[in-house]
Amino acid sequence: MASAAEELDQLMIRPLGAGQEVGRSCIMLEFKGKKIMLDCGIHPGLSGMDALPFVDMINAEEIDLLLVSHFHLDHCGSLPWFLQKTTFKGRCFMTHATKAIYRWLLADYIKVSNIATEQMLYTEADLEATMDKIETINFHEEKDVRGVKFWAYHAGHVLGAAMFMIEMAGVKILYTGDFSRQEDRHLMVAEMPTVHPDVLIIESTYGTHVHEKREDRENRFTGVVHDIVSRGGRCLIPVFALGRAQELQLILDEYWMGHPELHDIPIYYASSLAKKCMAVYQTYVNAMNERIRRQIAVNNPFVFKHIQNLKGIDHFDDVGPCVIMASPGMMQSGLSRELFESWCTDPKNGVIVAGYCVEGTLAKHLLSEPDEVNTMSGQKLPLKMSVDYISFSAHTDYAQTSDFIRQLKPPHIVLVHGEQNVMSRLKDALLREYADDPSRGPVQIHNPRNTVAVSLPFRGEKVAKVMGGLAVEPPADGRVLSGVLVKRNFNYHLLSPDELGKYTDMTQSQVSQRLSVHFSGSPQLLQYILSSLSADFETTKGKYQWRLFRAVTVTLDGKTAILEWVASPGGDMLADAVLAAVLKAETTRVDAPTRPAKFDRMHYKECLIETLQEMFGDEAVPKFFKGEKFHVTCGGRRADIDLTDMSVTCEEDEVFRSAVLTAVTKLYQSLSPATLSRND
Amino acid sequence: MHILYAVLWKAGNPQQVDECRFLLDAGWDENFNLNYLRDVRKHVNQIDAVLLTFPDQAHLGALPYLFGKCGLSCAVYATVPVYKMGQMFLYDQYQSRHNTEDFNVFSLDDVDSAFDKIVQLKYNQSVALKGRGQGLTITPLAAGHMIGGTMWKIVKDGEEDILYAPDFNHKKERHLNGCDLEHVARPSLMITDAYNATYAPARRRQRDEQLMTTILQTLRGGGHVLVAIDTAGRMLELAHMLDQLWRNKESGLMAYSLALLNNVSYNVVEFAKSQIEWMSDKLMRSFEGARNNPFQFKHLKLFHSLSEVNRIRGPKVVLASSPDLECGFARELFTQWCTSAKNHVILTARTSVGTLARDLMTNKKKKTLSLQVKQRVRLEGAELEEYQRRELEAKRAKAAALAGDIDSSDESDTDEAPLATDGQVEHDLTLANGKPNPLFFKSSKRQHAVFPHIEERVKYDDYGELIRPGEFAVAEEEVKPEPVKEEAEPADQEMQDLSTVPSKCLAYYRTFTVAAGVTYIDFEGRTDGESLYRILEQLRPRRLVLLRGTDEVVQPLAARFAQVAEKVLIPRAGHPVDATTESHIYQVRLRDSLVSSLTFSKGKDAEVAWLDGVVVMATDQRPSDVTAPTDDAAMETDDAEEAIPTLELLPAEKAPRHSTVFINELRLSDFKQALVRLGIASEFSGGVLWCCNGTVALRRQEQGHITIEGCLSDDFFRIRELLYGQYAIV
Repeated sequence: MASAAEELDQLMIRPLGAGQEVGRSCIMLEFKGKKIMLDCGIHPGLSGMDALPFVDMINAEEIDLLLVSHFHLDHCGSLPWFLQKTTFKGRCFMTHATKAIYRWLLADYIKVSNIATEQMLYTEADLEATMDKIETINFHEEKDVRGVKFWAYHAGHVLGAAMFMIEMAGVKILYTGDFSRQEDRHLMVAEMPTVHPDVLIIESTYGTHVHEKREDRENRFTGVVHDIVSRGGRCLIPVFALGRAQELQLILDEYWMGHPELHDIPIYYASSLAKKCMAVYQTYVNAMNERIRRQIAVNNPFVFKHIQNLKGIDHFDDVGPCVIMASPGMMQSGLSRELFESWCTDPKNGVIVAGYCVEGTLAKHLLSEPDEVNTMSGQKLPLKMSVDYISFSAHTDYAQTSDFIRQLKPPHIVLVHGEQNVMSRLKDALLREYADDPSRGPVQIHNPRNTVAVSLPFRGEKVAKVMGGLAVEPPADGRVLSGVLVKRNFNYHLLSPDELGKYTDMTQSQVSQRLSVHFSGSPQLLQYILSSLSADFETTKGKYQWRLFRAVTVTLDGKTAILEWVASPGGDMLADAVLAAVLKAETTRVDAPTRPAKFDRMHYKECLIETLQEMFGDEAVPKFFKGEKFHVTCGGRRADIDLTDMSVTCEEDEVFRSAVLTAVTKLYQSLSPATLSRND
Repeated sequence: MHILYAVLWKAGNPQQVDECRFLLDAGWDENFNLNYLRDVRKHVNQIDAVLLTFPDQAHLGALPYLFGKCGLSCAVYATVPVYKMGQMFLYDQYQSRHNTEDFNVFSLDDVDSAFDKIVQLKYNQSVALKGRGQGLTITPLAAGHMIGGTMWKIVKDGEEDILYAPDFNHKKERHLNGCDLEHVARPSLMITDAYNATYAPARRRQRDEQLMTTILQTLRGGGHVLVAIDTAGRMLELAHMLDQLWRNKESGLMAYSLALLNNVSYNVVEFAKSQIEWMSDKLMRSFEGARNNPFQFKHLKLFHSLSEVNRIRGPKVVLASSPDLECGFARELFTQWCTSAKNHVILTARTSVGTLARDLMTNKKKKTLSLQVKQRVRLEGAELEEYQRRELEAKRAKAAALAGDIDSSDESDTDEAPLATDGQVEHDLTLANGKPNPLFFKSSKRQHAVFPHIEERVKYDDYGELIRPGEFAVAEEEVKPEPVKEEAEPADQEMQDLSTVPSKCLAYYRTFTVAAGVTYIDFEGRTDGESLYRILEQLRPRRLVLLRGTDEVVQPLAARFAQVAEKVLIPRAGHPVDATTESHIYQVRLRDSLVSSLTFSKGKDAEVAWLDGVVVMATDQRPSDVTAPTDDAAMETDDAEEAIPTLELLPAEKAPRHSTVFINELRLSDFKQALVRLGIASEFSGGVLWCCNGTVALRRQEQGHITIEGCLSDDFFRIRELLYGQYAIV
């Protein structure tokens, strides 16, 4: 049976995280009874259960599909918890590169997260166990899970980042995840999908901000680094271990190569994780841009000449100017925090915040230029070192977003992954832009808060394909089509029942039944009773076997009566009637007439006259009549009855006529054996 | 092997789906026999698309010739690995031929321009065709056998699918998954080959052991092992397996050398390394888990010339192309090694009749062979002088021509400019040689990073990436590989010389006494006959086209499949077969009131309901307050044809009566399970399921016919109720 949810025409989009905030991306889609979760991230500024998206709002068991856009913690950080610690039974997909990095990234996260064991959401063993539950999807490959069709586009941003296009019952939804349409040193730009989505769920991290040009940004970055090290300071670049870090390394390595005077100043990259994942970068070159793919055939661009890997702070000899890239990127804890705390009091030193910072992290706090900062141990330190903010994060900016939307022309836009103010500014800006553009048609922009659902009405148009024998004749007005409608994954096919096996995996079956009843009476009695039951009564010669209603066969074999028929609701009902008759014959202990009962017409006529006299008075009907025709008079009206075809005519009074007709036919039916119309 | 494709062409089957003509594969035989292409040349102008399945010569060998010499010009579809490895196959083939003979069937430029036409796809990536193919969708599915191997699904209007699946392999292998039959619902037409219909290969373990013992015995006896294998397909499986064998300390193989020798071995292995996502789940998992790339070989060394290999001391195993021993390093090594009884030759595939490998396979007793030996030798003495004189004349003539035409002289100046700065004499010579492509002679050496085949010739697909910024940075990249190139050159002097200095080709017959052992070990990686039958039984194609197979193999097979498929067709070369499927399809819009009146019951994997409706042709306006999904494809067809008719509810009294339909095929064993769950005792006896202490019996009469039998009792009706529950009744 089709459940009510399946027939609903409302598409519900409910952010469980990343609704008017950045971090813990988790968006629920519900449509036609299907539930899809997009991303399952963790909030970098919170810890323990608080950092999870609001998954208590939903029933994990009902989710059919979970898609993870890329390997950043705010997009996949809760995944091991969700897969291992909830009742989730659906399928989970990510791209190959994302899966390969996810495993190492989260293992690293478990190691560095600075919280008590009981607050840990999951362990390394949990993470390991999730690897078998996660399936991979290649870019552009179409998958179908329970009628939900989806495929991935390149999203730029980081290696393996994907935008997902999801199609349910003809409605297409594009989830961008984090994306960037600006070409950089190693990644492709986000693709422009060739199909137009009905709903666009788009990130709004940078809102109305417009990025500076790539060259300017790089020059500013290298300039700041150069300044810091030339004044004898230490340059700290807190970075997320994977993703932008590789981009920065490519830039710094090239800059050092062009500036021999800097060769004495070491660049350290303090991440064993990045080292581990280098093999992944070297393998999935097919997901990178043309430049890298070309170069990798010659030499590996990810083998750096001037950048050394640093195993940990113990191996670091802090003697003079240097550049260190350390994770985590927002200095919540770990190496970047340690280095920051030991360097922040010296004005020669400098920190360059190169990525996006989430509310509640130290990096974000630094941007407000405080005089003092709190250390991990709670102590206060004066902030003397220089702080620069150069955004390298590969997120879309206003120019890219607005161009993307202009090309895709989605009627509905849902903004996620952006802070409240930034998001509403973006919403206003977009609305203003499109208000001036009448050619575009109406656009609705939503920016739901966490747990608040956006409900969009979609008329799930149902189109069926008529196939095979039913479709031989072309459709014409008024043609009646009868057949079996097969519904599979939002697809409808109308078929003739005998062609089911040809077009589907299903086959038509038949169930025949054979029921034995004890019968101790004489065959004649049985025959008599059965013959008075059905007018369609055939006897097989030489055997005690009768066929009633052209459906049920009764055979008498010694003291057993056997009923045989083919199952169908009608057939079962007739069989029940025959069975009742057999049981009646069993209990009736009378000597049966030798001949089968025959309908007595004279008896019927007598009864009819009596009935009519009862109904309309003794005077209404002639006492005797010959042939099959007579009349009834009542209150001056006369109805003529013709018994040959059981018809009644009365010109004056329709009510009277039908009353007489009812009497005539009902009486006939109750006195004669039953007949069934041919079609059954 | 080639016959398959010839059949398709000759059958006028550029497989026609309505008006759209496909060329399914463009293979060639081992020796580039032009006769095979005679018929396809006639159809060249009518072909709308080419679908490629595997990267080997037998499946795309004719592509450069058809594009370069026959004027074929249409879109070609292939998966990313088929594109990359296919190019490797052809480069290797070209280079192998060029090393020993004047080969002019196609040039490397032909290969490149043909491959430029390829649209690269991922598995399960559907492409909706345009133009004459409107309404058709093609989808590549994993086929196993070789990396990127494809079965093509061609679907018309979302129904009526055609499955083209030659040479697939359903078994999982070391580096590949088996073919993907999950995405194939009952095809209306299936085209496959009957090549293996009666063939039962040795079990995998047995086969591997045989290989291992043959190798070990030969090596211990101080001999060499030549494994004749293809360039970039089955080679990967064998290379991966042997490298693993070598890693095993107990195998005792570490003392010996393992070499891969073909003209493009470095690139093939590099490409294999970056295509992990196309390989088996096991390899992918191990990469995700331990980050070790399976094609980062520890023991297998890569070589590009015979002299390098000959320099390796001691017994060795060499994987060399090509498997047919018709050309390439495999043939050269064969002629070198076959006379010594210590050596061993392992053949890995059954190549076409008439090839040397096949000859060795079938005539095991034959010990003397008369073989044509082809060689490219330097010109000397008078010949050289004559050659130089002619070149000089040609050069002068060219210069005169250039002087006459200023435009073209400008062009040629810029062409030559970078070469001159290289300061390498060879380049000039090459140009003088009349070969405008200065790159062809470098293909054998990995050090030459500028050789075109390691560069992306990706045009990329619909989603963009037509502009390649990298192209504008060529100058700075070209500088880097330079030092590498120079230091590598001396090692390859021999090769380099022969392909760049004036040379001529010789061919003569020589008689060889084959003393070396010759063994055929099946590494073809194709579905065997028995499994083929099982798979077809499971897929139940409505029409089946069997290709490639002799009459005696195909006829009994066709008879066997006749029960499974409605029609079995065996096209013969030159004769078109009519595989038209009678397809009547049209679409109707279902009115909401109609849908809500239906009662669906659950079938196997779908829901079914009886529907009585009446067609209304008038187009209805969609209510504007709700958004209807924008469906570009649907809208296009709307414009093209008239609107979709609507189906409305037929009043109950007008509905014609219909007999009840029971849908589902009940298996008594499943029903027994259902009974067990409810705690009802039942047992099988003589094919009859007895329930409730033998008072009710269920019998399966024939396909889709069940009888329930019993005495009048509650049990009877209870069982009947349960039985009805197993069906969707409409």
